[in-house]
Amino acid sequence: MSAPSRRLVAAALLLSALAMLNGCAAMNVQPWDRDLLAQKKMSLNPNPMLNAVDDHIYFSKEGSTGGMDVGGGGCGCN
Amino acid sequence: MRMQLTSPPTSPPALPADPPPRPSSIRRKLSAAACILIASGLPAAARAGAGATTQLDTSLLLYGEQARAKVTEPVVRITRLYSSGQRLSAQLALDVISGASPSGALPSGVISTEVQTRTTPSGNVETIPPPAPDQIPTTTFKDTRVAFDADWTRPLGRFTTTLGGHVSHEKDYQSLGGNAKLSIDVMHRLATITIGGGYNHDQVDPVGGTPVGLTDGSTLLTSDPSKKEVSSALVGISRVLTRRWLVGVAATRAWERGYLTEPYKVLSLLDPTSGLTVGQLTEKRPSTRVRGDIQASSVYHLSRDVLYTSYRYYRDDWSLKSHTIDTKYRHELGGQAYLEPHLRYYTQSAADFYHTALIQGEAIPDYATADYRVGHLQTGTVGATLGFHLFGSPGEWSLRGEYVGQFGESHPNDVTGVQQDFNLFHPLNIATFVAAYSVGF
Repeated sequence: MSAPSRRLVAAALLLSALAMLNGCAAMNVQPWDRDLLAQKKMSLNPNPMLNAVDDHIYFSKEGSTGGMDVGGGGCGCN
Repeated sequence: MRMQLTSPPTSPPALPADPPPRPSSIRRKLSAAACILIASGLPAAARAGAGATTQLDTSLLLYGEQARAKVTEPVVRITRLYSSGQRLSAQLALDVISGASPSGALPSGVISTEVQTRTTPSGNVETIPPPAPDQIPTTTFKDTRVAFDADWTRPLGRFTTTLGGHVSHEKDYQSLGGNAKLSIDVMHRLATITIGGGYNHDQVDPVGGTPVGLTDGSTLLTSDPSKKEVSSALVGISRVLTRRWLVGVAATRAWERGYLTEPYKVLSLLDPTSGLTVGQLTEKRPSTRVRGDIQASSVYHLSRDVLYTSYRYYRDDWSLKSHTIDTKYRHELGGQAYLEPHLRYYTQSAADFYHTALIQGEAIPDYATADYRVGHLQTGTVGATLGFHLFGSPGEWSLRGEYVGQFGESHPNDVTGVQQDFNLFHPLNIATFVAAYSVGF
């Protein structure tokens, strides 16, 4: 990716993050409306153990790593 | 050691003095409030068992590649929950690995009747039958990896800190690392900003010593372990968009330095005309690597079911780029059981020093590898998880079966002669099965 493309992606991500942060009034969710969100399955990582198994498999079989975590490695499989 | 970006806490902040009128019914509000008090007032791990102060998670992975590697991996994790909201976890994992993987060399291209012997990375001497002219050479291995992880999470108002560490041991690889993470809830806990960092200090100690790169392997670079250091950083945000929708974006960056070469991998030297292999060289990779990626994730609650989707873009300074799309659909079966189909697609471009082989007589590059894992590659995954509670017993069971297929360049254009006629990348078929059990007590 060229430098201008990188700057474009970075700007888009920054704007997305700001939009996520600000949101809009109509999208705000009041505390008494969080019944569904309180469920364990409503998580970005509802099953950490199975996801960790997946991370290990793909880390050992592909050239990429990363995602919504940090500190990967600790294995001589790649 | 992985440190996950957390979802925003869903526990309610102090209610506003004069909340705006809502269209929902009184009954719905009371029901929701009851759910919140029961579910979100506790740390996440406690939700599996109301009132539990200890959580036990176990899993067993059975992994098998067609005619290649096999792995059995049991994992046990125990989490202690404290009334202050603090959480202390410890995990022990064991990997029993055996089988074979491609050495990086190409088929000889000649019919041989000679029975050969070779020494495996495990130190064993084995007899191998004469290979077919188009057979991809493999290296056998056998190892056991033991890994111990621990982490401590401490909430303090809007802030949550997590400290973690790990140590792992294999016959030829050791790793010691730690990480720290800080999460801040903002916007009445509708969003969570997370920053974190980690550091790994690894040692690579190949059986028989570390060979000099891009040589015939007879000369050792060192007989001592070689260092590999990894520093990583994460910044992310997760955001509740609606009553049913949670999204997150996270970017990570990792800096690797030290011995990053695969000590057992080689490249073939090809005759420029016939394409027959005339020798092989050990591979050599740069001693630094800077990785970066960004991932966007979404969790959406339909009427009963939940849809999970994510996309990740990755690139590094080895010119390897990848795209990953992952989706799961959790379908509620009733009675606390669910079925969750899973699809994943991954595609990557090759590192700039990836070569299928080197050609005799041409200049040897500064760095070269024929490891297919940094070449052009696609991976497809299809599978499903069944989650259920056994009648009359506590805890939740999960059974998952998946097929993983890997597809590369079967007829690359950087080979010569007879190699152009061979299929140099047979699809790799992998089957995985995981059984997991979680219980609070």
